[in-house]
Amino acid sequence: MSSGIVNLNTNPCKMCMPMGAVSAFYGIARCMSILHGSQGCSTYIRRHMATHYNEPVDIASSSLTEEGTVFGGEKNLVKGLDNLISLYHPEVIGVSTTCLAETIGEDVPAVIRRYRESRPECGVKIISVASAGYSGTQYEGWFRALHALLLQTDMDETRHDGLNIITGPVSPADTRALKNCLGSLGLSFILLPDISENLDGGHNPAYDRLPSGGTSLAQISRMAGARATLELSAFLPEAYSPGRWLEEKHGVPLLRLNMPIGLRDTDALLKALEDLGGVISGEVRRERARCLDAMIDAHKYNALGRGAVFGEPDFVYGIARLCCENGLVPVVAATGGNCPALKARLEEEIRPVADNVLAEKTTVLNFADFDDIDAAVTGNGVNILIGNSDGRRLARKHNIPLIRCAFPIHDHVGGQRVRILGYSGASGLLNTLANALISGRDAVFRADAFERYCKNIPTNAVKPACAQSGQANRRMAEKTARHPCFSSSARHSAARLHLPVAPACNISCNYCVRVFDCPNESRPGVTTKVLSPEEALTRFINIKASLPNLAVVGIAGPGDSLANFPETSETLRLVREADPDIVFCLSTNGLLLPIYAAQLMNLGVSHVTVTINAVDPRIGARIYKHVNYMGVKYEGEAAAAILMSNQLAGLKMLTEAGVVCKVNTVLIKGVNDAHVEDVARAARSLGASIANIMQMIPVKGSVFEDMPLISNKEHLTLRKRCEAVIPQMYHCRQCRADAVGLLDEDMSFRLREIASSRTQIVESPADRPMSAPVRVAVASRSGVVVDQHFGYAEQFYIYESDGLFTRLVETRRAPGDTVGCGRCGGGGKKQAYPGGEENSFGKIARALEIVADCRAVVAMRIGDSPSRQLKRKGIAVFSTYENIDKAVREAAAQCV
Amino acid sequence: MDVKSEILGRYNAKVFKNRKDHILRVTGTEGGVPEIAANTRAMPGIMTNRGCCYAGCKGVVVGPIRDAVTITHGPIGCGFYTWGTRRNKARAGEDGKNFIQYCFSTDMQESDIVFGGDKKLRQAIKEAVEIFHPQTVFICSTCPVGLIGDDIHAVAAEAEKLYGITCTAFSCEGYKGVSQSGGHHIANNGLMKRLIGSNDTPPETKYSVNLLGEYNIGGDGWEVERILRRIGYDVVSVFTGDGSVERISRSHMVNLNLVQCHRSINYVAEMMKTVYGVDWLKVNFIGLDAVCDSLRNIAEFFGDEDLKRRTEEVVAEEMAGIAEDMAFFKNKLEGRTAALFVGGSRSHHYQALLKNLGVSTVLAGYEFAHRDDYEGRDIIPEIKEDADSKNIEQLEVERDPKRYRAFLSPERYEELKASIGLENYRGMIRDMPDGSYVVDDLNHFETEQFSKLLRPDIFFSGIKDKYVLQKGGTLSRQLHSYDYSGPYAGFKGAVVFGRDLVMGLYAPAWNMVTPPWKKERPEKDSEKEGSSHA
Repeated sequence: MSSGIVNLNTNPCKMCMPMGAVSAFYGIARCMSILHGSQGCSTYIRRHMATHYNEPVDIASSSLTEEGTVFGGEKNLVKGLDNLISLYHPEVIGVSTTCLAETIGEDVPAVIRRYRESRPECGVKIISVASAGYSGTQYEGWFRALHALLLQTDMDETRHDGLNIITGPVSPADTRALKNCLGSLGLSFILLPDISENLDGGHNPAYDRLPSGGTSLAQISRMAGARATLELSAFLPEAYSPGRWLEEKHGVPLLRLNMPIGLRDTDALLKALEDLGGVISGEVRRERARCLDAMIDAHKYNALGRGAVFGEPDFVYGIARLCCENGLVPVVAATGGNCPALKARLEEEIRPVADNVLAEKTTVLNFADFDDIDAAVTGNGVNILIGNSDGRRLARKHNIPLIRCAFPIHDHVGGQRVRILGYSGASGLLNTLANALISGRDAVFRADAFERYCKNIPTNAVKPACAQSGQANRRMAEKTARHPCFSSSARHSAARLHLPVAPACNISCNYCVRVFDCPNESRPGVTTKVLSPEEALTRFINIKASLPNLAVVGIAGPGDSLANFPETSETLRLVREADPDIVFCLSTNGLLLPIYAAQLMNLGVSHVTVTINAVDPRIGARIYKHVNYMGVKYEGEAAAAILMSNQLAGLKMLTEAGVVCKVNTVLIKGVNDAHVEDVARAARSLGASIANIMQMIPVKGSVFEDMPLISNKEHLTLRKRCEAVIPQMYHCRQCRADAVGLLDEDMSFRLREIASSRTQIVESPADRPMSAPVRVAVASRSGVVVDQHFGYAEQFYIYESDGLFTRLVETRRAPGDTVGCGRCGGGGKKQAYPGGEENSFGKIARALEIVADCRAVVAMRIGDSPSRQLKRKGIAVFSTYENIDKAVREAAAQCV
Repeated sequence: MDVKSEILGRYNAKVFKNRKDHILRVTGTEGGVPEIAANTRAMPGIMTNRGCCYAGCKGVVVGPIRDAVTITHGPIGCGFYTWGTRRNKARAGEDGKNFIQYCFSTDMQESDIVFGGDKKLRQAIKEAVEIFHPQTVFICSTCPVGLIGDDIHAVAAEAEKLYGITCTAFSCEGYKGVSQSGGHHIANNGLMKRLIGSNDTPPETKYSVNLLGEYNIGGDGWEVERILRRIGYDVVSVFTGDGSVERISRSHMVNLNLVQCHRSINYVAEMMKTVYGVDWLKVNFIGLDAVCDSLRNIAEFFGDEDLKRRTEEVVAEEMAGIAEDMAFFKNKLEGRTAALFVGGSRSHHYQALLKNLGVSTVLAGYEFAHRDDYEGRDIIPEIKEDADSKNIEQLEVERDPKRYRAFLSPERYEELKASIGLENYRGMIRDMPDGSYVVDDLNHFETEQFSKLLRPDIFFSGIKDKYVLQKGGTLSRQLHSYDYSGPYAGFKGAVVFGRDLVMGLYAPAWNMVTPPWKKERPEKDSEKEGSSHA
């Protein structure tokens, strides 16, 4: 299992041993199965087999109860055998144990011996199989049952001309096809087991309770005298190999072959049969020719396929080889049980084919669950799944087709008639694979082609860097020189404006909580208000009028600029119309960069900052909680892998086209601090101009809220070290998403009102006579807007107003410790200042003293308790977030 | 010889003795409901359709809770076999959490059996918490766990402390009890002990209800919730289809519990009554008359005239909306017969809907019901406790003095007991036609024999028994998973059900299954005009 997840199986890719044992017994003539254990085992297994085969499935149970676990299950098993015999009259009974029987240590062979002794008249052959669910999968269970059958049958060594053919789990239809093929060679053979009729019966008004098809006991007995055994399984457990036992015990030579899936393995089987005296018929030859023809027809579609094959070892190996024969690269092959031999044999098979078509990553998984397969599917670019119906969840998640051709198939009909063996099975499956790939392509071809070849062609885009004229280069250099973030000299002179038009984000970083409207905080992801593109334009025009040194307009969130591309592009378009010279800058997490890079250049974006925190998915997985990409939510390494590949691809696209790129990295102690140099190297190699390593700000409520901070010294050391690789930005201020002004002097609050409405501040001259002025205390930090909480205010502006005019009387400092913004710790907006009241109890008392002579207090927020205390003193309380002048006038008007 | 004797005659003496009390023919219930044997051990070796304790706990009750990570502690099979097989649908809530599509297992290996599996379980919880961030983790144990003595409850308690989550373990080893019924009980106990009552957020209105024993197969629960909300009820929690821990935790704040599947959830209903004073009412949202009666009874319980008026309005509107379709389907189905063999309540519920469609019942039986589900709750005092039922913990609960609230006055309570059957279930047999058969724990052999003798047109069951009939040419519909169809509940579901039956019976393929020279069933079908079902 993947990435250290070793104890939790998430979505299993295997079943238990009893399932395999009873399936094999279904290939024995006049045989019934009984599971020794709780009745749930047989009920569940019947339910799963019935769904797949669309056939009645009768498996009895010894129905062990709690009593059985204490006193042993013999009584129940004996009763069960009695009932089974009297109702069904079988010739053979397969007794397979379950976890329960094995855990209580039931000696089933002894129980059966005693049963036979006590019922000498009973002629039923009773076979016991030890098949604890925890000792293996259905694959091992199948062979254990066959092995037990041979061991416990009285064998007849009389030599005869026939061959033994032993198969692993295959479908009834495939079994029939195999039988037909063997029959056509003119050889006599015994097939073990033979589920062809018992699990794929026709319509029959008279229900035959006892499976009448299948290998008979007499045939099994004669297997000891056969000419040879052909075991069609490459990976069966050696200790339970029926063929090996026949060889060792009865001297029947064993020939082990792969399951005949695909051309080579079918050829090998026919070659072996020919060597044993079989005559290959014209029809078989024609079938082979048709199979080759089918391969030729299908290869050009299948070679675009990148498959994930999962299931039992023989199935996975065979299908992977078949895929390889047709150029479909099985980039993921996985088995749920433990079969270490599979890996080496598959890798030598897959690698050369993968190399032909630049399929870089191939993965063979042992002991895998669907979580592991999922990760590999994502990482290896799989576009088709081949296995059983349990892959449907992956198919849905990744929107890729699933070809159901293995047990169990729960959501489609026809599981019993699946064909994969032999030449005709191969041609059929290749057609199905090709058709699924064609349908998938066909459905999106036009849209894809348009996206790729027409829509995104920049009509007058910035040319690739190498092709840029000297003039263009100069223009770009000049722009960079004016950009406060990219040029450390510009930071004292050039102002920038961040337009917060992009609220949504498509990834979730563990260090980030985007709480809007927190005026006490300055950090990325924070803004007071999200603007529409039109409001953003107004703001730009207003700010430009009051900030002549405005050089750069940037979009930095508060979410991700590209996750809100319509707003981002519309904003840039509007601003460009208003000002052809302003430098456009944008910061992004890079997830959608490959998609929008060309359009960004069209819009005239010359500077882009991509935040890349890691270039190793394992490290990324610790930083990103999830990534929403193309409508699918990814987590863990898959999420990180997608994000990183897009970041790097996008970065490369931009730098090649001449866009100046900065790479930001958030330094998280213990997570990526040892990795930043790798990030820097990757950034450099892809053409980034400058890197900015930032300290993580541990935000309350984020996953990393309790993460230790990296010290300034460590930070500096890392920056120095990375400087050898790529120039470093030392002057980053980790701005807000609505920052305005110089880097060192955020004016966003002072300029907010100007920016949005250009309200004239009406302040009456000090000497202007007012008719009964009222004294109002204002909690404000900026002195322009009411922007502070009463209990947290560092100062109060004392105004006088008659409701028409206002006059600033004085400023009163509120002494004491500054307490952080309780809001940010509190999370939800309704929940104001949890615990804040108590923490700042003394401070509030002092604040109450300071405003004691006022008639009204105006604050952004105020707690219940101080509010009550103020009211008790006859001081009116107004909470607002407003221009001071307006707020004071309104408050005064109400008090007058 | 009647059908019962004919079938029993095929059994050996021991089986005969056992099975004879599980089969009865209904001959009027005025003189009292006949007694049937139920909830006793299944005979080994007979193809019982019953599942195990784990199936009842994990598969039925606990599994559908969408926002809990349910880890099967055991070898891989058990977890695998309960993965997405019940079609209990769920939507992710606002928290985005929906683990219904997942199967989590500790995948115990031989070494875990030998050296104990609790270490692995501990790690598995840790991994689940780290990857999936659930608020709640359930642990369901399988056979070997109980035998090797892993203390899953200690592991759960430890996980709660370590990760600040709710972690509840269910000792639902497969061998406990005689069927999945024991598992229901264990799950009920766990929900009662650990979840119900942990959040005192009051409901939105006083017309607040829970829907108990609704597992949202094929979306049934959604249809029922839609109707209830339309009338103005606040459905606080559904147990457990599309259920969530959050909703279950405040379910004790309602004024009335509606019990759909009596068998699987009556324990919770009773315990909530004892502890919190919440009354419960048996309802049936399958079948139009049953739905209307249930809705009227609920309105009567609250006793509000506006509510009653609103109920009648909704009933009238809903009925008008489906009347035409139902009439058409009834016309197509009138006179057909059905046999039903399902779980512990559906065989009863669906008879109501079949009656609306003109289909009569010739046989009905339960897989794992108790006597009260057949005969009505009056007989509960008569049920003898046996060794198997004693193995399932009977949770002793007592009144919570702070939170106990009685919605009704004692007089009104007695009145409603009589008028709307508050806190009573009258069982299936009373609603069955004379001459029909009731069979408990029907097995494969009997299914086949009864069908031959009774020749139902439609056989309602689960996947395991359906093919015996279907292969022979009798229509089958699965009432466990609805063959990918549904919902069948409420008003809209009734139409879907009617459509499915007509579409099945009138499929042209049936005309081809019995060759014309070998017509086996002459009298019965040739009488019917327009019948295409040979």
